[in-house]
Amino acid sequence: MVKSIVSMIAVAVILTVGAIYETNFVKKQFAEFSVAIDCVYEKVDEKTATEDDVYALQKSWLEKKRYLHVFIPHNEIKEVDLWLAESIKLVRDEKWEDALSKMEVLKELAEQIPKTFKVSPENIF
Amino acid sequence: MLIIFIRTLITYFTLVVVIRLMGKRQIGEMQPFEFIVTLIIADLACVPMSDVSIPLIYGVVSILALFLLHQLLSLFEQKSLTVKKIISGRPSLVINKDGVDITELKKNNIGVEDLLESMRTSGYFSLDQVDYAIFESNGKFSAMESGENPSASSLPLLIVDDGRIVKRNLRFIGKSENEVAEFIKKQDGKLKATEVLTVDGNGRVYMKERNRKYRICRIELTEGLSW
Repeated sequence: MVKSIVSMIAVAVILTVGAIYETNFVKKQFAEFSVAIDCVYEKVDEKTATEDDVYALQKSWLEKKRYLHVFIPHNEIKEVDLWLAESIKLVRDEKWEDALSKMEVLKELAEQIPKTFKVSPENIF
Repeated sequence: MLIIFIRTLITYFTLVVVIRLMGKRQIGEMQPFEFIVTLIIADLACVPMSDVSIPLIYGVVSILALFLLHQLLSLFEQKSLTVKKIISGRPSLVINKDGVDITELKKNNIGVEDLLESMRTSGYFSLDQVDYAIFESNGKFSAMESGENPSASSLPLLIVDDGRIVKRNLRFIGKSENEVAEFIKKQDGKLKATEVLTVDGNGRVYMKERNRKYRICRIELTEGLSW
């Protein structure tokens, strides 16, 4: 009985702490990523962005995604990877309008992915 | 994680309710909530293991959530009889001194044929060989041998099941539907009210009518008939 209760409490604590950590971690990572995207977005909008700016954004994303893989479905991470890769090419070719739309998608993804971790009916069902 | 936990919780309790409603024949030697864990834990472990697009932690969290729920239910079950009754159900007395209790069988989605099968597995071939038979809450079958213990020398066949004639068995006893109905009438009974009627190879009849104690009588079988 004691063993049961101890194991139950241990699992409950692991799940609670894990849930809190996961929510905060994902939120923080995407908040930072959003700031970086906004920075590049403004430069693209002003047509002053360079290939290196997007590379820097990609580098920060690669760093974050190493840990985000633990919590986020890998397909969603792959989606960000693809949009980023396209952005690099478009900025390199100075196709600003197209690059801007790709950045817009990235902004949307960075906003939407953490929302899927919120406890809400649409996420549960 | 919290979402996975809530989703597991909803799935688990939905399955507990469904399995409880399905009755005892779906369980087989496990309590309903244990059966559910067995049912879904393999899939929970398998999906993140084989699908690399799903983080492994999704499977781990679901399994831990299941463990927590299982332990909680076990604890509540030990502490309260009411909770035990709700979660695991109670044993069902399907044969009593009056004979087969068809209402209790129906409550557990068990047919007379299933009851006969369970009895045969326990070594009893005739319904009147036992005084009491119980389907335990884990789906196991227990029977208390009759004091008189008439040993069955021929396998009884189910002829009437809850007011309906079991046509496929009629050829063994060499009787038509009308002849069976006539026989029941002679015994001062009605086919519709006959819950169970079995006949063995010696013409020995077990007959249980609604709200009446079972009766043992004889039916004349055509000479040379045996099974």
